[in-house]
Amino acid sequence: MSSEEALLGVENLTKRFGAVCPANGVNYKLRENQVAGIIGPNGAGKTTFFNLVTGLCIPDSGNVFFQGGDITRLSPQKRVQLGIRRTFQLASVFDNLCVVDNIRVAYYQKQRAGRPSLGGMFLTELVGVHSETIDELTEGMGFANVAHTEAGGLSLGNKRKLELAMAIIAEPKVLLLDEPFAGLSEMEISQIVEMLKNRCAGKMSILIIEHKITWLKDLVDRLSVLVNGELVADGTYQEALESPQARKSYWKLIEE
Amino acid sequence: MPRWLKRYGDILLVFGAVGLLRLALPVPFVIHAVIFAIYTMAFSFLIGRLGLVSFGQPVYLSIGAYGTGIYLARFGTNPYAGLFVGVVVGILFSLLIGSLLLRLTGDYFALANLALCAVGFFFFQKALVSVTNGDTGLWYLARMSSTPILNLRQPNNVFVLALILAVLVWLLMKYIDSSVYGAACLAVKGNETKLQLLGYDTFGVKWLAFVLANATAALAGALYAIYFGFVSPASMELVRAPEVIVAALLGGAGTLYGPLLGAFLYIAMQDLVSTHVLYWELFVGIMVVLIMMGDEKGITTWLKPIFRSGWQLVSRRPKITRTP
Ligand SMILES: Nc1ncnc2c1ncn2[C@@H]1O[C@H](COP(=O)(O)OP(=O)(O)OP(=O)(O)O)[C@@H](O)[C@H]1O
Ligand SMILES: [Mg+2]
Repeated sequence: MSSEEALLGVENLTKRFGAVCPANGVNYKLRENQVAGIIGPNGAGKTTFFNLVTGLCIPDSGNVFFQGGDITRLSPQKRVQLGIRRTFQLASVFDNLCVVDNIRVAYYQKQRAGRPSLGGMFLTELVGVHSETIDELTEGMGFANVAHTEAGGLSLGNKRKLELAMAIIAEPKVLLLDEPFAGLSEMEISQIVEMLKNRCAGKMSILIIEHKITWLKDLVDRLSVLVNGELVADGTYQEALESPQARKSYWKLIEE
Repeated sequence: MPRWLKRYGDILLVFGAVGLLRLALPVPFVIHAVIFAIYTMAFSFLIGRLGLVSFGQPVYLSIGAYGTGIYLARFGTNPYAGLFVGVVVGILFSLLIGSLLLRLTGDYFALANLALCAVGFFFFQKALVSVTNGDTGLWYLARMSSTPILNLRQPNNVFVLALILAVLVWLLMKYIDSSVYGAACLAVKGNETKLQLLGYDTFGVKWLAFVLANATAALAGALYAIYFGFVSPASMELVRAPEVIVAALLGGAGTLYGPLLGAFLYIAMQDLVSTHVLYWELFVGIMVVLIMMGDEKGITTWLKPIFRSGWQLVSRRPKITRTP
């Protein structure tokens, strides 16, 4: 399959930080509506991979493709407008806005076809930004009671859920989740898994970085293992976990 | 209570009170304080809503003042036209400067503004001396023509105009607070990268805010220029940079009443203290330190509970008890 057929693809992506090489000639293609997982040890380059795809980080060499076009040099903002959204390993929301306002700001961009103009923003009342999806998500994430408190006061779990809500409300084409389950209770994780299955699967491609591997089992239809900036295994959940290379370079670390 | 009264009742109250102050206090004081309040509101918006601290605000104030002053001294005589010119010059200047300085962040932005202020002072005092008369300044009070309504040759009318403009600026700030744009400004302050990654043009958001705030500062400068009838480089001396910061923080940055309160308190203290104390600046310095020990919301943080309990005292109705 060539990059032109994949929704999102990277070719020979390389990035160095001094002696560290968190992306060493990575080739990866994500198909439409695919739900894929990426696992790997700490410092393997998983987050760096997301940074390269979202434009927070420019590769030393190699290219990033989206819908057949080369987006390697595009600004982060342009990539978002094309339909790539992500969450961060450290949940990133607007601490000084209340929970609904966070969601409203995220939704408004979608409402304005991805490109909110200054004039439009100026003339639109914030409380006027509402929709059934906002209500549904606020309800579904269990935010009904905290809707009007500042996001800075939320628990880590709630921040993560809020960030997720802000990402999926825009119905992106590709959703990149960086350790969405970290720091959450079992209950909260299964809530998020359900949310991803019901609301996102089949409508968008999802790429999930996780250390809590077993939670990916029912969720992903593909799993890759990244070690030292290189993809050492790629296949179904079972295949990836049983691949000899992955066992050698990743499981060894865990089993020891 | 009708809806408009609910929404704008507070502003009627506050500015009504300012209007009444005019009857009780010396005219020069209230005029000075109201114009200074406009200047402070603009800065408070920058720092409180956008998180941008600038140590060079006098330059934006003075650009407006010189726009008006040069027009009235060399080109026209109508003070309203002068006011208009001052604001337009302020807008153009902040459009240009914003496009350059907003690429800097945090402390660098604050210091670059300081440098800009120093450069501005040099220009108006030395480099453009043929236009600005250097330290002597431009004097045009006698040239200003009378207008049929709200004749600005009379200080009383300057007060009325300044009060009207202060209300309009206040309404603008209040409106922005309720708009998506206002939320975007706060979002820039809280987490600019995140806003970018939601597809927003954060530079545009900052640029517009910068221009709005500094054009408002220029408006204040233009009003000063008309009230005093002269302009000189003294208005952009670097030692004057902290005054608007102190006033904004005194009242509480990013709040709606804070800048008004801060401006009045500041000017009052300046008038009282500087007549008795030689080194008024020392006093300002100590105040800055004291304010910095509090937080961004300034004295309103401890005034609010006092007002609230005071209000409860006068509005107490015996039967209604509110459960928390
Ligand atoms: N901006 C940067 N500057 C310097 N080094 C960096 C930068 N970003 C990442 N690195 C380094 O690259 C390596 C990979 O980091 P990355 O965050 O991608 O790992 P990760 O796979 O996400 O790990 P974790 O599971 O701990 O989140 C690390 O050694 C990190 O220190
Ligand atoms: Mg990571």
